[in-house]
Amino acid sequence: MVNAIKGILISCDIPMAQFIVNLNESMPNAHKFIVYMLDDTHIYVQPNVGEMLTKRLQEFRDQNTYEKPL
Amino acid sequence: MNIDDEEDVFFEEGPEEEEEIQKRDFTKLELKADHINRPLWVCADGRIFLETFSSLYKQAYDFLIAIAEPVCRPESMHEYNLTPHSLYAAVSVGLETETIITVLDRLSKTKLPKEIVDFIRDSTLNYGKVKLVLQKNRYFVESPYPEVLKKLLRDDVVARARIIANEVAEGTAPSFTVSKAPQDEGGADPELLGGTDAVAAMEEKDLHSFEIDPAQVEHVKQRCLPNALNYPMLEEYDFRNDTVNPDLNIELKPQAQPRPYQEKSLSKMFGNGRARSGIIVLPCGAGKSLVGVSAACRIRKSVLCLATNAVSVDQWAFQFKLWSTVGDHQISRFTSDSKERFRGSVGVVVTTYNMVAFGGKRSEESQKIIEEIQNREWGLLLMDEVHVVPAHMFRKVISITKSHCKLGLTATLVREDERISDLNFLIGPKLYEANWLDLVKGGFIANVQCAEVWCPMTKEFYAHYLKKEYSRKKQALYVMNPNKFRACEFLIRFHEQQRGDKIIVFSDNLFALREYATKLRKPFIYGPTSHHERTRILYAFKHSPDVNTVFLSKVGDNSIDIPEANVIIQISSHAGSRRQEAQRLGRILRAKGKPQDRVAGGAEEFNAFFYSLVSTDTQARILPTHPEMYYSTKRQQFLIDQGYSFKVITSLPPADTGADLSYHKLSDQLDLLSKVLSAGDEAAGIEQLDEDMDDITRNRFTRTHGNMSTISGSDGRFYMEYSTGRGRGMGRGQLKKARDPNKPRNQLFKKRFG
Repeated sequence: MVNAIKGILISCDIPMAQFIVNLNESMPNAHKFIVYMLDDTHIYVQPNVGEMLTKRLQEFRDQNTYEKPL
Repeated sequence: MNIDDEEDVFFEEGPEEEEEIQKRDFTKLELKADHINRPLWVCADGRIFLETFSSLYKQAYDFLIAIAEPVCRPESMHEYNLTPHSLYAAVSVGLETETIITVLDRLSKTKLPKEIVDFIRDSTLNYGKVKLVLQKNRYFVESPYPEVLKKLLRDDVVARARIIANEVAEGTAPSFTVSKAPQDEGGADPELLGGTDAVAAMEEKDLHSFEIDPAQVEHVKQRCLPNALNYPMLEEYDFRNDTVNPDLNIELKPQAQPRPYQEKSLSKMFGNGRARSGIIVLPCGAGKSLVGVSAACRIRKSVLCLATNAVSVDQWAFQFKLWSTVGDHQISRFTSDSKERFRGSVGVVVTTYNMVAFGGKRSEESQKIIEEIQNREWGLLLMDEVHVVPAHMFRKVISITKSHCKLGLTATLVREDERISDLNFLIGPKLYEANWLDLVKGGFIANVQCAEVWCPMTKEFYAHYLKKEYSRKKQALYVMNPNKFRACEFLIRFHEQQRGDKIIVFSDNLFALREYATKLRKPFIYGPTSHHERTRILYAFKHSPDVNTVFLSKVGDNSIDIPEANVIIQISSHAGSRRQEAQRLGRILRAKGKPQDRVAGGAEEFNAFFYSLVSTDTQARILPTHPEMYYSTKRQQFLIDQGYSFKVITSLPPADTGADLSYHKLSDQLDLLSKVLSAGDEAAGIEQLDEDMDDITRNRFTRTHGNMSTISGSDGRFYMEYSTGRGRGMGRGQLKKARDPNKPRNQLFKKRFG
């Protein structure tokens, strides 16, 4: 019997995948969102976390970027 | 400095706020008919844009650099900013208000906005009316206009600083000493588009002056700046007519040929036959010391030269002997190692900021020297690397030493603490700033290819990097990133084998420095490396064909002179310091190779390389001192403002050349990871270096509170006195009672007590 799970496939580079894994681990058990770690660069996650992930990644990136102050 | 996305607005419509757009909307500006021939865009808010491809570029550049601050200078479009300070500098090099306005109008593509004209008028109106003069070790404020002096004296700060001479009665306080103004000689700076002499108008007028307290000079100067009283003081030194101070008989040697830009910077300083105080900005390797020595040779009075550390003291002394005819008996070094007394009444003294500013107790010998320095009237105070010295130390040095003229030299007029503006009144306005790209084009400094190499973190390292429990190891983790190591190894191999270059690898992180160097079998130098060892390694680096790479910690930033190197690889650096980036680049700026090869399209368009290795996606939320990616962008800002472009390389080493480099196998990487994690915190940290200090600060004693026993080390071991009721009179008896008379005495006590 085939079991179908709805979700989002994320493909990214290795560090970003680690960032997502780390984020997943920092969540309480009920909120863990990774369904399968397919390989180093592909992650299968719950369908409802897409927006949250984009937001967190954006925050993370903003902190890494320097803009010359006006 | 501040960025403005002005140029963006020229070409694209950014989603900016309504007001911003209106302020920067220049569609209404009227172009002059022959605007194509004119190189400038002048905006109402004081910004000026210069087209460097214009045929009038050279003249326009010379003019702009005199009146405005450079903000950003990429290849074909420069941005400048008109500020009160920059106009102050312009007037102090002899430009007149009307000249500035007419020349600016002549060069501008559009009609000058009224605001700009008013702005220039307002800010230059009062310049040159007041002068600060040093005569016989006393400071005087001088002006041909007595009403101006009265106005100044109405200010609290100035009034307090005034020293009222004894013979002047208290009641007649606002009277000034009157003297004949000396006839001015020497025309205006001919290079500045025919500007006429500003001071000529003051000929044959009475000069009024009052004396001020030497300790208050700085405050008075600050009060007079445009943002307060708006009577900025000119500091000029009429060294040719100075008969009080004896002449120093030195001249430039014939082989010392100042380059065009060096001449130009000197002509700014000696604009009308007098010497002005100020700062000259030249990139590293462009010959700052020759400018300093030439200035000393023109003034020909006693020179006090201040450097940052003992090594550069030696270098300055060497430069003086190299370029000028100064005799051995006329030059003396004053550092904690060599205290050479100076002989005779004139001479060159080279010392460090610390030696002069040091406030503690000195040895008798140096106390004598420092007194001599304090009591002497110096013709020229030459200050090297003015950007590194803390402002309070400057104040001290300047208040201690009395000099007619101060010349500051620096490569990078930026500071992270933004105290640069203090230099305006501590030393003087910026007299000249060279354009780096022009010097590159002229072949005076090396043409550097800057590149930032992005090394992705490996999976295991990044996983640890993100974990909270390793937050203290973050820096070690991203520096030791195996991909970075491999990129570094690849670059070293490429440059050593394919081009035969000499390479310096910089790492602030000592753990990484040691690991990289031992793994790659290269010599490394850091703070504790002995002088003997350093000399040996550097000698081998210079002369042996087998030693082509050397690893340096922060010690290499300033004090080690390695003219041979032409490649720099930076694997870790001090967080976000623009100055360090520029200083390191300066290590390879000295021109190499034949000039004809170096022009665009020549055999070697780039002959120096600057790589900055950065682990991508690294940043620390917990320890905000270590975000590498973040800071690397900030560090580069200075060089970008100078017109350098950073090329980003993302795939190093190339995928096919992986196997022969270190850490190819996962097991090796994991070994490295465990090594990094087990290393002590202190090993993984940044080197704490006292290289900028003298040994005065290094061996400084510490004063502690305590009594005799603390100091002698017997703390906590003294006898306690218990109150056993002694004071109550009965105490003595009670104590005696403690002995049972029936008990036999010990042999010893028997003898004594019978």
